[in-house]
Order: sequence, then structure tokens, then C-alpha cells
Amino acid sequence: MSVHSDVDPAVSPGTDPEQPSRMSRRSLLRGAAGAGAVGLVAAAGAGAVVAAARPETKAATPAAALPPNAGPLVVYLRDARTGDLEVLAGTTKVRLHDPALAAQLLRTVH
Amino acid sequence: MSSHREAPEISKDPVADSTDLYAFVSPDQPDTVTLIANYIPLEGPAGGPNFYAFGDDVLYEILVDNNGDGQADVTYQFSFQTALSDPNTFLYNTGPILSLDSPNWNRRQTYTVTQVKNGQSDVLGSNLDCPPCNIGPLSTPDYPKLAQSAVHSISGGIKVFAGQRAEGFYVDLGAIFDLGDLRPFENLHAQYGMHIFSKGAAGVNATAQVNVHSIAIQVPISQLLWGSPHGKVTDQGSVIGVWTTASRQQAQVWDSQTNQNTCCGPWRQVSRLGNPLINEVIISLGQKDFWNSQQPDNDKQFASHYAQPELAGLLPALYPGVFPNLEKVVQAGTARADLEAVLLTGIPSGIIPGFQNFTGAVQADLLRLNTAIPPSAKPNQLGLLGGDAAGFPNGRRVFDDVVTVELRAIAGVTLPLVDSSFKPDGAASLVTDGLTASSVPSGFLNHFPYLGVPYSGFETPAH
Repeated sequence: MSVHSDVDPAVSPGTDPEQPSRMSRRSLLRGAAGAGAVGLVAAAGAGAVVAAARPETKAATPAAALPPNAGPLVVYLRDARTGDLEVLAGTTKVRLHDPALAAQLLRTVH
Repeated sequence: MSSHREAPEISKDPVADSTDLYAFVSPDQPDTVTLIANYIPLEGPAGGPNFYAFGDDVLYEILVDNNGDGQADVTYQFSFQTALSDPNTFLYNTGPILSLDSPNWNRRQTYTVTQVKNGQSDVLGSNLDCPPCNIGPLSTPDYPKLAQSAVHSISGGIKVFAGQRAEGFYVDLGAIFDLGDLRPFENLHAQYGMHIFSKGAAGVNATAQVNVHSIAIQVPISQLLWGSPHGKVTDQGSVIGVWTTASRQQAQVWDSQTNQNTCCGPWRQVSRLGNPLINEVIISLGQKDFWNSQQPDNDKQFASHYAQPELAGLLPALYPGVFPNLEKVVQAGTARADLEAVLLTGIPSGIIPGFQNFTGAVQADLLRLNTAIPPSAKPNQLGLLGGDAAGFPNGRRVFDDVVTVELRAIAGVTLPLVDSSFKPDGAASLVTDGLTASSVPSGFLNHFPYLGVPYSGFETPAH
């Protein structure tokens, strides 16, 4: 898995560009199945867009372990075949290339 | 239009759609420059109950390059916050709004101004009131006074205003977008063989009686320049390049619990405006939203559009026999170095006696203003073409007739600046859409924020 972060400090003072690099496949999947804290936007195959949340599933991460002021987080799966993902939170974007993670994410919504 | 609804994607996002940009030495405060960026095209004045407002989720910026690299050296950022006093009424206001703190005003907007300079962000003002929209004699009985009270003095000797104004840009959209009809000369139009027009007609201002939302800032000139020699017209350091942008966070998701959009991700530029009519007329349809996303210092990639504007080819085709000299230039494939200079680098010294607004070799679409040129005592709305160096394309004043200036430039009147052997067609210096600044019913103010009092919904039903 490769990771690329993208933040423009000129227009987003105060963001922590290090924060996204702590994101792992495991934490992302925990979030995707979390208690409404995560919005998942997945574009699969020929451009279909699916929005999903699993409020019925209990979050695995205690709230105290979350970063302070954690706001919404969106995962955009651009291409399921290559696992091209963008994880957006705050004013930050992290780009991932992880086909296995993409497949796991898709299984959570299909 | 100048830049109203000019690109497919941004036309669907009015609050982030920049429409016009102005930059001029303030006529009543000549030690300052006034910068105005307009957003939200074609506001019907009666558009209630949710009257128009800036986007709380949009980052608006006015950017200034002062060293010719096409990159921002001084940026003013504007971010807005909307508050609803009483969610249990459908009304924008529950009585007359006589002051900005009126308890009768239910949905108000405030904003924060941040300056970014030398990598440092400083909040210059916060919790600044916007005025309400102009509704009518019962709701906003003394609108000019009410709106003027929303002119704020903030840190650094700077004045700001953000709110509704009358549309100051005038253009005969209905005719121009009907296959290039210029009403005063429509009898000369090829008319596709239909013989509809046997004589010319007066222009019709399609933007009369609509409003926009303006972000205006008046800044001491000294704060916009850097250490390079400046103060004289011949000093390259006297010239600034200005543009405006609107940015949105990359992701926007409808939250079904709050029934609102929620946003996250990096800010992405979705709208850009420097010179008027560029993305509207010069840039091709397939590249317009891409152009909006780009930074001026990357504008070399679009230079061919400026050098070979499609409109220059259309004029001889639509008006057969009227532009024979222009037609030869087009057929020869001659690059329009005049347009590239005016729009992408500024005009160097030695071309027009006593004038320059050159920023250097970097091609960047900027509204260039030589701040050492004082305001004109007798302004000519044709700006530099009319012998008035204080007007467009040396910056742009609120009343400048940019449609006529750019039509004539593209028709060839500026080509002799770089090719003395070229003789413009007689029609080139006459072509116009038939409008003048007097076509704007509101008129203009002679003081900040200069654009006229917006049309009220009561007096101006949407049409």
C-alpha cells in the first residue's frame, strides 16, 4: 500500500498533515463500520456511487482514542480494480493504492 | 457574460461562481486601491424568502501578485457564517430592518477577513456584518443607509464590504449568444440567409435589474507592493496583478440526520477570474472548468487560445465583407501578440507613450493595474482605447465598457501595437453591442463600494 498526503497549508492553517498517515487499513475498516462517524462514498466500476453507513454496528474504537475535533471522513474509491482510494478528512486528503482494501470496502456495501 | 455561468460545472454552483473582478486606484482615496470580486450571477431581486447569500462552505479569495511571477504575494480570504435567529418562522425578516443589529432580521450573515502574506495568516476582521438583501420599502426602508453601515474599517487602514449590489456589468447577452448578433450592426450579419434584420437596433442590457454579491476591499497601495522601485508609472514595481478564486472542500456529502451538506477534504479551486470575458469567450468549452481550477502561473498552457481567439475568426464569417483585414490575419494564422501582451503579460514600456502595466515574461491571466497612474478626472469608459490610462486594461473600473473594448481589440484595433503594418478595418473601431455605462439603471456610487444600490424585490419583480 502506498500513501500520499495532500494538504494546502496556505488555505488550511492549523491542520495536521501527519494525522492521515496514522491511518491504517484496519482503522479505516473499523471506521467504515462505525457508529455514523464515517461517511463512505465509493465509486465502483463504471462510476456507480454508493453512500453507506452502518449505524447498527458498534464502533470498535473508543471515542477517547479518536483525534480531537475529528470531523466527518469520506472515502472515495476511484477505481476498485487498482484500489485507488482517497481518504478525506478535515482539510486533508490521503491517497491510497490498495486493491485488497478496496475489495473489503466494497463488501461492506454490497 | 464577463464570467457569469461561463463554465459547465461552475454554472451549477452559483454561490461559488465569480462574475466580475474590478481593480482600480480609488478615485476618492487615491492612496488606496479598491478590489471588488462579484459572485452569484443574475440574482432576481425578488428571490425570497431565502434571499441570496454567500456560501458558508466556500472560501473566497482576492489575490495579488506584485512581483510578476503569477503567484499570490498578498491574499485576502473571506469566509462567511450564516445564523438563523428564529427557525420557527418562514420569514427572512419579521419587521422592518432599520439597522444591522435589528431583531427583525432573521437570517443574517457575518464574515471573517484573513490576510495571507509572506506565508503568514492574520485575521484582519471577524464577525463583520453583511447587509441584508434589498427587499422593499416595508422590509428595508432606507436601504442605501443600511448597506453603507456595512462598510467596515478593519486592521491596516483597510475598508471592506460584503453583500448585495446592483449588477454593474452591462452586456447584450440575448443578442450576442444568438450567434454573435450585435444589434447595432445586425443588418450586416450573415443571418444564415434568413434576412431577419434589415436595419440596426439599439442594444439591450440583459443584466439590467439583476443583482450580484460583491466582496469589496480598499487597501492602502503601499500594502500591496513590495521592495522593488515603485511610485512612478515607468516602475515595473508599481504594477500589481489581481485575480479572484472560489474554492470548495473536495467532498460534500448530504447528512441525512442534519439535512445539510457536510464538507471535508482539501480546498479545491472551482472558480477563477482575472481579465473579464476570458473564460467566457477565449477558453473553449471543454477546458473551461479546468481553466477555473488552474493557477495563473500555469496559463502558458492556454496561450494558444489568446493568440488565436475563435471570436476573431467568427467576426469576418458572421459579418461578411466587414472585417477583410482581420480575415486575412486569421487566414494567415497570425498569432495575436497584441492580445497575449494585453491579457497575459501586460503592455511593456515603449508601446503606448507614458504607459506600461508589464509584469514580466510569465504569461498569467491577471487584471494588471499600474498603481502609479492616478484616477482620471474625466474617465472614458473605453479605458486605454479611449485615451484614459486609468481604465481597462489598466485594472478595471466599475463602469468600464469591457465588452466593447475586448470586441474591438479582438477585431484588430490593438494589433498595430505589435505590427505597425497592419491597418485595422474601419468597423473594428466602431464595433460594439450598443451599450454604455448609462445602460445600468442603478448607476454607480462615487464612493466605496462604488457598485450601485441593489434593485429591490418590491420594485423589480423577477423576469
